[in-house]
Amino acid sequence: MNLATTRRISPHALASAAFRLRELGIFLALAIAVLFFSIRADNFMTVGNWQDIANDVALVAVLAVGQTMVVLTRNIDLSVGSIVGLTAYISSDTLAHHHGLPLVATALIAIGIGLGCGIVNGLLVAVGKIPAIIATIATLAIYRGLLFQITGGQNVLAFQLPESFLDLAAKKPLGLPLLAWIALAVALAGAAVLRWASWGRDFYAVGSNPEAARYAGIPVGRRIMTAFAISGALAGLGGFMFAARFASVDAVAGTNLEFDAVTAVVVGGVNVFGGSGTVLGAVLGALLVSTVQDGFTLMKLSEFWKMFFNGTAIVVAVTIDALITHRLQEALRRRRRAEVVAAREGEAPA
Amino acid sequence: MKAVGRVLAGLVFRWEAVLVLLIFAAAFWSTTLSDLFLTRANLLDLTTPYIFIGLMALGLTLVVVAGEIDISIASILAVSVVVLGQVFEAGANVWVAAAVGLLVATGLGLVNGLLVGVVGLPSLAVTLGTLAAYRGLAFLINSGEGVASFPVGFTNIGSGYVWGQQVPIALLVFLGAAVALGFLLHATRFGRYLYAIGSNREAARFSGVPVTLVRVAVFGVSGLMAGIAGLVYVGFFGSTRADAADGSLLDVVTAVVLGGVDIFGGAGTILGVVLSVVLVSELRNGMQLDNLGGDTQNIVIGVLLLAAILAGNALRALQTSGLRARIARARHKEVMRPSSRTEGIT
Repeated sequence: MNLATTRRISPHALASAAFRLRELGIFLALAIAVLFFSIRADNFMTVGNWQDIANDVALVAVLAVGQTMVVLTRNIDLSVGSIVGLTAYISSDTLAHHHGLPLVATALIAIGIGLGCGIVNGLLVAVGKIPAIIATIATLAIYRGLLFQITGGQNVLAFQLPESFLDLAAKKPLGLPLLAWIALAVALAGAAVLRWASWGRDFYAVGSNPEAARYAGIPVGRRIMTAFAISGALAGLGGFMFAARFASVDAVAGTNLEFDAVTAVVVGGVNVFGGSGTVLGAVLGALLVSTVQDGFTLMKLSEFWKMFFNGTAIVVAVTIDALITHRLQEALRRRRRAEVVAAREGEAPA
Repeated sequence: MKAVGRVLAGLVFRWEAVLVLLIFAAAFWSTTLSDLFLTRANLLDLTTPYIFIGLMALGLTLVVVAGEIDISIASILAVSVVVLGQVFEAGANVWVAAAVGLLVATGLGLVNGLLVGVVGLPSLAVTLGTLAAYRGLAFLINSGEGVASFPVGFTNIGSGYVWGQQVPIALLVFLGAAVALGFLLHATRFGRYLYAIGSNREAARFSGVPVTLVRVAVFGVSGLMAGIAGLVYVGFFGSTRADAADGSLLDVVTAVVLGGVDIFGGAGTILGVVLSVVLVSELRNGMQLDNLGGDTQNIVIGVLLLAAILAGNALRALQTSGLRARIARARHKEVMRPSSRTEGIT
């Protein structure tokens, strides 16, 4: 009889229920944030402000989708802020000198450079066996240093850029800014890859247990490479979006954006131990991060409150996740033990 | 013949020896940049601007030996420095303020330690979070210009000299800290525990090592070292701003890794880290003489960091392949000895 009660919910269902609860948690946090700011901050609940937020979310969400892939494989990419700066400058500087260049080509330049940076990160981690955090702390400094070399102290300013580029961020098809549509497309593509592409599924396997994944025939190194390459390419796209949004780019552009991306991903329930998490969660995380930051700005709180919020959010989210995972594991272990005991009792009389 | 070769190789491949060679090479490069490099005053003063980095590196060394990482140290330094400034400005004696700063630094380190050791969170995520949170906190405590009117008796820690105005006090602080932490790491039970935990935490636990306590404590030590680094920082720069030591993480991590500390835990010496602090200071100094900007310097230091790990990994791969060959030979002689070394990725 014990057997019947313990088998009522399968372990898989229990786990997915926990994850659904986790996503519900983000919605709740988001709702509280929106409620709080709509009371405390002027102009928070206006169409214009929500379009601003949508633009902010767009950038963070694009980075967060890439970061999700990397974190799923039990790694981290701290160089994305520098890649955004690098690609934002190069793409806008190219446009400033060649007004006739199609915008798609400019975006492709940014994505291409980002892809290159991502591949370097991937090589260092997958082939060089350097822990991702150390490798990307180094490339964070290196890419930023390269950017300083390239700019030589110059800025790209709005008046140097063609009208078509400046219009890009102002376009709002169906009331939603174009950048947000781009981010939506990226998120859908990312979600599709993680759900249906076999190499996307492999990210989960690699992050859950790299050894087991290797024995199962998954090319672990190549998958880690792919994750970093995607993160880099999306950071490149982010750079293009950054340039379109702010229209003036200097050598410190995109600094600290990696914190927004990591916060979004971690708050969004992507497990820092790798192996679990969804793009939907990461996008919700990005939404929460950007909403809170926008609220802080409207309340005229300093930049440093955002930093404090980001850091605290990371620690709190990781703590909650660890506690949930621990409880879940304990529950599953207890159940397995009960099953074994029940099975033995069943055998004993015979 | 073979044995002699192996001993020689052992000497050459001893990382500290490589570092000494590199220090001489960098010194040679520096002399080509400036005639003043090889003066006694310059050689003694060379490391002074980087002592706070060295002090943080010493603390981080212990954490990395234990198989963890602490990237929040520069932010801990900032909070402790700002608190020091506020307490001093409120009218307290500067040494009391310094003590409060150290206490705060140790406390923030212990917060990291509790989250890692007791709650069981990965140190990477925890200290990435506290890196941002503590830095934000520093600005929330004081986002202004900071306090700058410290008595000379205090700022001497970072900018004073003794023995005929030749030897920087900061250098003595660093060497003193190196000796103290060297003793702690290499000559005490606590130090042995760090190596044991860094090599294999589960095995350490089953061997009766108080794993949780040691892991919490090592983050406390790391915080305390960031606090001491803060004192030297204030002494050198003379003010307590919330952006203190921003951007120094790269140098700290490079100093530790270049010093031969295994980034996967379980191996490393204080001597190696002391040497690599000297090397990094020398390189920064040389690049300054060569008129390279800070961000160009960062490219070089970043590449150095990557190269150090790549070299270490290659060396280890060589060693294990040698070991494997020896084991294979031993097996051939039918001395059955199972070899198993599983490495956990954390």
